Amino acid sequence: MTKNKPKAEGQRDEAEGQDGGWGWVLVGALFVSTSLVFGLMRSLGIFFVEFVQYFEESAQAISWISSTGLAAQQFFSPLGAALCNAYDARVVVMTGGCLAGLGLILASQATCLVHLYLTMGVISGLGWGLVFTPMVATVMANFTRRRALALGLGFSSIGLSSFAFNPLFQLLVEVFAWRGALLILGGLSLNIVPCGALIRPKRRSKSPEKINSESKPRASILHRVSSHLELSLLFERPYITYTLAVTLLNVGYFVPYFHLVAHSRQAGFSEYQAAFVMSAAGATDILGRVASGWFSDLGHFRLLHLLSIWTTLAGVFIMLLPVSSLSGSYPALMVISLLYGFCSGALTSLVFAVVPMIVGVARVMGALGLLQLIESGAGLLGAPLSGFLKDVTGNYIASFMVAGSFLILGTLTMATLPHYFSCKDPPPPQRPSPEDKDKSLQSEVEPSVTERSVI
Amino acid sequence: MNLLWAVGALLLSCWQASASTGPKIITDPPEVSNQTSAVLSCNLTESNLPIKGSHWVYNGKIIEDSKSTDASPSTVLRLEKITHSSGGKYECVFETEPEVKGTIEVKTLPHVGAYKHSEHGNEKDKGVMVCVSHGYPLPTDWTWFKEEDGTQKPFINGTTTKFEIKSTPNKTTLTINELSMEEDIGDYTCSGTNELGTSSDKIHLRVRSRLAALWPFLGIVAEVIILVTIIFIYEKRRKPDEINDGMKSNSNANHKDKNVRQRNSN
Repeated sequence: MTKNKPKAEGQRDEAEGQDGGWGWVLVGALFVSTSLVFGLMRSLGIFFVEFVQYFEESAQAISWISSTGLAAQQFFSPLGAALCNAYDARVVVMTGGCLAGLGLILASQATCLVHLYLTMGVISGLGWGLVFTPMVATVMANFTRRRALALGLGFSSIGLSSFAFNPLFQLLVEVFAWRGALLILGGLSLNIVPCGALIRPKRRSKSPEKINSESKPRASILHRVSSHLELSLLFERPYITYTLAVTLLNVGYFVPYFHLVAHSRQAGFSEYQAAFVMSAAGATDILGRVASGWFSDLGHFRLLHLLSIWTTLAGVFIMLLPVSSLSGSYPALMVISLLYGFCSGALTSLVFAVVPMIVGVARVMGALGLLQLIESGAGLLGAPLSGFLKDVTGNYIASFMVAGSFLILGTLTMATLPHYFSCKDPPPPQRPSPEDKDKSLQSEVEPSVTERSVI
Repeated sequence: MNLLWAVGALLLSCWQASASTGPKIITDPPEVSNQTSAVLSCNLTESNLPIKGSHWVYNGKIIEDSKSTDASPSTVLRLEKITHSSGGKYECVFETEPEVKGTIEVKTLPHVGAYKHSEHGNEKDKGVMVCVSHGYPLPTDWTWFKEEDGTQKPFINGTTTKFEIKSTPNKTTLTINELSMEEDIGDYTCSGTNELGTSSDKIHLRVRSRLAALWPFLGIVAEVIILVTIIFIYEKRRKPDEINDGMKSNSNANHKDKNVRQRNSN
């Protein structure tokens, strides 16, 4: 009896898009791996104080470590996506986990700053890049109706883990010194490997290749590489528009994280008050991710419209931050920060969920990889730009205003997407395939998928 | 004779007049040293310039509460509680044409504090201890001591390569190379001296064995390996079922399966 049940469920699950069951296990895996990638990245600040003291370098030189790590993660994302398309997502994620752990383990033996750039920056960054995009794409492929909620739950780990990791890392550094702490962190990062192991391996990886080799007998390596990387996406206007919008978003998105504490201190609040403002924003961030994921899946509005609303609100609140703090009132600053935290968390769970609507579920892996790569430039641009504005004007008002305006600019860019103002999602574009059979069947199946997600 | 007296008196009065055209500020007290509170006062004398007001300046910045538009030639600033952060140069400024200033220096004992009261380092690695100072005037001399058998043993820079002391007026750093667990664990004291006196603070140094972090690390690696093994074993158990599923659906609904596959291929 028990043997027969899983069989039947397996068949039903496949037909319905697997909204449940093993999908939630994968959400758990996404939760853990995202916390070990981004939560860890965000809590590395604890080590910087130690590095500044030990290596006797400037804070700017030390901060390049985390910039390199983040840039490597985003730069290698298309590589991760391509490898998943070519081989198996499971192997890629497990390899990424090993690399991330290896980078941190090697970093614990570093004797000069360059070692840290290479290990914590490049190697771990490469590992993180091979982990994040494949995990997100896998979860998205396993959900249709509850996609945004699944992503929201998965990404809520970032806020929770940076909340938990900060005191944990401080404790590790105090007990084991930074070398020992980095070694233990390397071990913790290896926990990504079991998360990757939970991804079910591709079962019939042979058949699509057979089809490909039948129809394209002389497919060159370049052609295959470009199809794995989904480079054809770069020529499609909707995708380019959306990528541009997300890039603009990223320029302004990180500014409050870098500068809110310094700005609050400058406005006259004490260290604890400033730190508490950040913690409160982080708490509402977590709430925003889950709430927005749940609400979006109810289907009352198009995901794209909801994303535009959250982005605009977040931009407005960023602009209001300096206004509220300069008025001198702590409750005002607190309220605006809470609202900002909620909106920025809300938009995070939707940014990736919108991608399948634009490029179709089949190309999500490559689309996410390219998106991460292109938006990496924005992240590198945003913080130095706001720092430069602060140096020029003497306070943070200009930085926050510019950051908020970038978010609003991103929303306006999104408004130029085709069919933006219609109430229903348009059918997503299909992957050009040599077989007519597949084409006609795809157009049968895909619209029904999108109809369900709108309802 | 009378003419001589008259000339003499005229010269005297001229001299007095020329001497008194320079405005003078009398500061009281001229300097504040090591007091818990003080009343600083300035008196503008020998000046018939109109006074539009007065204010006090502390370390180059105007003290907002001290601004006054009184035309009075004397001004007073009360320092209720003098701590190391209120030491410095206080200037009373009378708003005349041109401005007249007087300076009172408020000197306190240096305030010496350690960045971190508990420092740690790895065996054979280097340990760094830092002390900073606030106040006025800043310490001119820094010394480091180690508590050994109840006495303080001073460090002298340059005698061995094991220790290195780098000092600036507001910060001092003691670096110990090649930490050893037997010799270097203990309490260290940094002390800064300025013209008024000395202040110090204590730091406790702990030396961790290099392998201390290895055990938790190996524990975590073991946990990871166990988890991965469990997942693979669980999957091997389910695999026979899934292969049957795949073959069935292959034969029955070929085209449907293909679309589903494409959806799942990410």
